[in-house]
Amino acid sequence: MLELAIGIILGGCALGAGCAMIAGIGPGIGEGNAVAKACEAIGRQPESKGAVTSTMLMGCAIAETTGLYALVIAILLIFVAPNMLVNILLKAIA
Amino acid sequence: MKKIDQTVLETTRYIGLCTLVLSALMQAVFLVLGRWNITVLLGNALGGGVAVLNFFLMGLTVQKAVVLEEKEAKSAMKVSQLYRNLMLIVTAVVGIAVSIFNSIAVIVPLFFPRIAISLSGILKGKEENN
Repeated sequence: MLELAIGIILGGCALGAGCAMIAGIGPGIGEGNAVAKACEAIGRQPESKGAVTSTMLMGCAIAETTGLYALVIAILLIFVAPNMLVNILLKAIA
Repeated sequence: MKKIDQTVLETTRYIGLCTLVLSALMQAVFLVLGRWNITVLLGNALGGGVAVLNFFLMGLTVQKAVVLEEKEAKSAMKVSQLYRNLMLIVTAVVGIAVSIFNSIAVIVPLFFPRIAISLSGILKGKEENN
């Protein structure tokens, strides 16, 4: 029974980490769209290339943070949560 | 080799400088809490270095992508983001798994570029108000 409980905890953590990493797809799509629109803007006004690139860089960096949050959550679920939850389970049994 | 855009260099320089200042602040916090040791410094160097490198690589991709066609630019950004994400994952895993790095000191600096950008927005807003 204990093995099953530990297995469920580990499986749940791994599944949660995998689900969290779905958020990593979003920034890629968002950045792609932003750059595509910037290409369009630079095509219309080539003299604004510097300003557009600078603003877009900042925007892309902010968009990328979402993926980073997901990464941190996934890492916590893989490396920290299983030990913590198993310890709680063992304490509850004891 | 293609010349690096001045905008990319300037922005990366600003991000690097902010990361350095914020890293010093983080070291000070660890010192005040009495948890400072060499692993914090090594972890900070790894995390901060990768954060700035990630931003610089993104800048290079943006520089390359703005001269491409719309569809090509989209896919170039997606591919670049995938590889940079992998780099961040490897860094975070190495930072946690290898004991010579403090895991918190590796993870926290990855967010410094975001803080630097927020700070630049606040500073620009103040300058415009003045």
